[in-house]
Amino acid sequence: MRTKFIQYIVFPLVIGFLFNLSAYAQDTDLKNYRVRFGLTTVKQSDNSRVLEASFIATNKKDRKDRVPVYEADINFYNVTETEDILLGTTKTDKEGTAQLTVPANQAYVTDADGFINLKAVFDGTDGLDSEEAELAVKDVFLELNLKEIDSVKTVILNAYTLDSLNTKIPLEDTEISFTVGGFIKNLPIQKGTVEDGQLQFKFPENISGDKNGNIDVIASIVDSDEFGNVIQKKNINWGTNKIIEVESNKLWSRVAPIWMYIVLSILLLGVWANYAYSIVNLLKMKNEGKELE
Amino acid sequence: MNNKNSENGGTNRRKFLKLGLMSSVTALAGTSLVSNLTSEETTNTSGEKVRLLTPDGKMVEVDASNINKYPEALVTPAESRKGIPDRKFVMVIDLSKCKNARKCVESCQRGHQLDYNEEFMKIKLIQDNQNTSPYWMPKPCFHCEEPPCVTVCPTGATFKRDDGIVLIDNERCIGCKFCITSCPYSARTFNWEPKAKFENKDVPYSPETQVPAAEGTVMKCDFCPDLLRQGKLPYCAQACPMGVIYFGDKNEDIVTNGEETVRFSELINNRGGYRYLEHLGTKPNVYYLPPVNRQFPLERGFDVDEDIIDRYKDVPYVQELKKQGKI
Amino acid sequence: MNTNKRKRELVTEFSPMIEKPHPMLKLWILVLSVIIAIGLYAFYLQFTQGHQITGMRDNVVWGVYIINFIFFVGLSYSGAFISGILHFFNTPWKSSVTRIVEIITVLSIIVGPIFILLCIGRLDRLYYLFMYPRIQSPITWDIIAIITDLVGCFIYLFLTFVPDFAILRDTPDLKVPNWRKKLYRFLAINYRDTDSQRQRLHKITRIMSKMVIAMAIVAYTVLAWIFSLTLQPGWNSTIFAPDFIFSGLYSGVGVIIIIMFLIRKYFKLEKYIVQSHFVMAGIVLLVLSLLFGYFTFSDYFAKWFSHKPADINLLNTLFGRYFWQFILANYIGVLVPLFILSIKKIRTIKSITFAAVVAVLGLWLNRYLIVVPTLETPYVPIQDTRPEYLHYTATWIEWALSFAGVAAFILFFLLIMRLVPIISISETIQHERGQNSKQDESYNY
Repeated sequence: MRTKFIQYIVFPLVIGFLFNLSAYAQDTDLKNYRVRFGLTTVKQSDNSRVLEASFIATNKKDRKDRVPVYEADINFYNVTETEDILLGTTKTDKEGTAQLTVPANQAYVTDADGFINLKAVFDGTDGLDSEEAELAVKDVFLELNLKEIDSVKTVILNAYTLDSLNTKIPLEDTEISFTVGGFIKNLPIQKGTVEDGQLQFKFPENISGDKNGNIDVIASIVDSDEFGNVIQKKNINWGTNKIIEVESNKLWSRVAPIWMYIVLSILLLGVWANYAYSIVNLLKMKNEGKELE
Repeated sequence: MNNKNSENGGTNRRKFLKLGLMSSVTALAGTSLVSNLTSEETTNTSGEKVRLLTPDGKMVEVDASNINKYPEALVTPAESRKGIPDRKFVMVIDLSKCKNARKCVESCQRGHQLDYNEEFMKIKLIQDNQNTSPYWMPKPCFHCEEPPCVTVCPTGATFKRDDGIVLIDNERCIGCKFCITSCPYSARTFNWEPKAKFENKDVPYSPETQVPAAEGTVMKCDFCPDLLRQGKLPYCAQACPMGVIYFGDKNEDIVTNGEETVRFSELINNRGGYRYLEHLGTKPNVYYLPPVNRQFPLERGFDVDEDIIDRYKDVPYVQELKKQGKI
Repeated sequence: MNTNKRKRELVTEFSPMIEKPHPMLKLWILVLSVIIAIGLYAFYLQFTQGHQITGMRDNVVWGVYIINFIFFVGLSYSGAFISGILHFFNTPWKSSVTRIVEIITVLSIIVGPIFILLCIGRLDRLYYLFMYPRIQSPITWDIIAIITDLVGCFIYLFLTFVPDFAILRDTPDLKVPNWRKKLYRFLAINYRDTDSQRQRLHKITRIMSKMVIAMAIVAYTVLAWIFSLTLQPGWNSTIFAPDFIFSGLYSGVGVIIIIMFLIRKYFKLEKYIVQSHFVMAGIVLLVLSLLFGYFTFSDYFAKWFSHKPADINLLNTLFGRYFWQFILANYIGVLVPLFILSIKKIRTIKSITFAAVVAVLGLWLNRYLIVVPTLETPYVPIQDTRPEYLHYTATWIEWALSFAGVAAFILFFLLIMRLVPIISISETIQHERGQNSKQDESYNY
């Protein structure tokens, strides 16, 4: 009965399911795909800058059908009026993204308005057309100050750009999000707009932090047209440190509770001592018999 | 049998390493690498295919195992007993959002190379009493603070780590099944028969991945410590399209479902979080948020294959629906 | 009184059993060997193809094997208990039954643990139990207890055998092959039945008889704890250990009665195993049936009355899917022996044996109902599982191995009976000596 059930019901169902899966097999003709090529940038807290190009073909009919371009060489340039300065070359990964981290000491050439012009280029092959994406960002500086003002933990952010004479120009009307660092994802704590180059708020209570109560406070500008992505972070000992102690010598731990060893030893010793006593007596008996002979 | 689709599944991580070594060479060899990958794939497949476009415009389908990046240093059974330092992992499952989409189950099966009907994560259809409405309840291993399974293990094959995760070392397990009978949540499964996938020795065994599995030993949900070490969410939490499964570190009080990151204590306090069968005193590390203000009608959950619906045939509510001809 | 003369008489009386095998015996040995061979083949299949060929699955991970394990270990424990009691109180009618009881004790503690090994997925790693022991695990306790019990029972059995080995050694005209004479000489360890030797033997036998009772209780309690220390509905019960103790005795006395009946019938020992033995054992069985019924009732009644959901679930299963098994095990298995044994008029050897058979079968079924239905009704309802994993049905592999276990038990029994007289000669003499001295004492008045 049961095997029949498997034979006639489950098996065909599973086979059907398998065929169903393969029926989804998507187009393989490149004509049905639109190739998307994009460039983003993240300025990190150490002032280095990550350039990220994404290279993905998307089905014209089914936008969910995305095929990343794998192992394609992408060149990143700093574009100036006269020439394109090559910043570096990387390959795309299985997500179709190529990342280049440009060190903090890189001197970018800016245009007249103070924008850094960046460009990612795929040179093109017989099968794939060349691609190019450009991006212009202003170099923005975030300064994070964590202070206890009248014993209120306060986060103060100063944001500015520099003009050609290295004068600080305060940032206006820019949205900043604040998070604290987490193991898997960061925890959002505040969102605000910078006015006159400054933003200030009270740090929330009861943030745990790591085992020593250290917290990474992170301020970031996300997907701004003018600045791209900018991240600044600072570590401070503001955590309440809710670390949970690990108990030992429990029933489930590696080492058993001590009383268990004691009780077991006493029991075993008692019983086996008796056995030994019996065997010793048997041997004595044997010797007595031998003497008789 | 009916599970050919992943029976001889073997994630071939060594092939990835090979790939890594080769990639510097391929800069010269051009794009032949990807085509190599596809032609090589005949015997060992994890079942998961990834479609890629080569730089010379060819659409290829390769086995996911060949391009997935795994931590290079595999965690040995001895190291895996220690746990990730200063962490205490916790899961929160929001029952109001679950609609039995089963993506968690499937993703977990792919990640752990389980067959079609072997599952670490099960979706139960629970009705607490006659007057309350039933709800879908994803049930992983609860990684209890007082794990009865670990207490009864005669060889220490299953153990609780400092980060709260309960794992099984299948090289130590003698298969006495006592842990299975002592788990009140039926979280554990047994490998009842020899399978081809157990023989795949390309990957060194680690209790953190439970791959390759071994015949005659016990397995269960492991909270995916291999992914955690990479700072990623477990397979189930990653895969859930509804963001039902939150996961994180209780020490830093942060949990996330990938989309939304919140404080664990706030989530539990504000949403009436509870633990299943609290009265048993096992102190689970999986919390549930009650199924209030549902985002989906329960019936959405029956939008699955017939043989999956069949797995709920003993539930009174399902029998009632069948009588009414609704499913 | 001439002890030596009496010894010779007794040896002559029992020697046919030892000297030349009963014609039927060879047939029996053949049949039993075939059953064991089939069991070994089943084991080979299970070992090579994995546990998938048994009926055990993810929910019911323990099946008939563990039930046989409980049953045989229970038998051994009750054997040890009864034999210890008989020796300790120097019961007058013990001489004809002690040997049977002692052999049951040792054989079932050998056969029983084999069944637990059959439950283990990785027999090749069995030594891990000693390499990486965890003191907290009840399995560890069980292993320690069973090994200790096994050694204790062996020593005890040997102590009771020594005087008979000596008698057999001292009977040169016994028609047995030379190797067996040598074996008797070796096993008799120079026992000459001198006063000092007799006293020494008596002393350690008395100690060991107490030891064996204690060990039996500890070992069987630990076995009951394997179930009752888990959180499972139906298992997590404080009554389990005492219940196991009494139900073990119930099955043990039942098996003793059955074996007494068979030996009496096929080995023509009507003179030694008499009706009064059966009546005595029958009365013990009667008391035990009351106790067993009482414990079983208490356990299920408390569950029913307090009606925790998980318990009610279990009871619904027991009275639903397992209705007839439940009736057979817990009603028929208690009430029928109770009825037969409590009416004096119908207490014949045959009826008592029938009651014992009902008791033993009922008790085996009772163990089945303790193990399987609980595993089929866990706290979290069994859903989202492949349909073939829902319920447990034992396969032919499990039955083949179960019968092989019973066959091995019988085969070993028959072989031991070829080696030593099934009625202890030394005990019989001691018993008669005791009666004589009592008579002497009464003359003195």
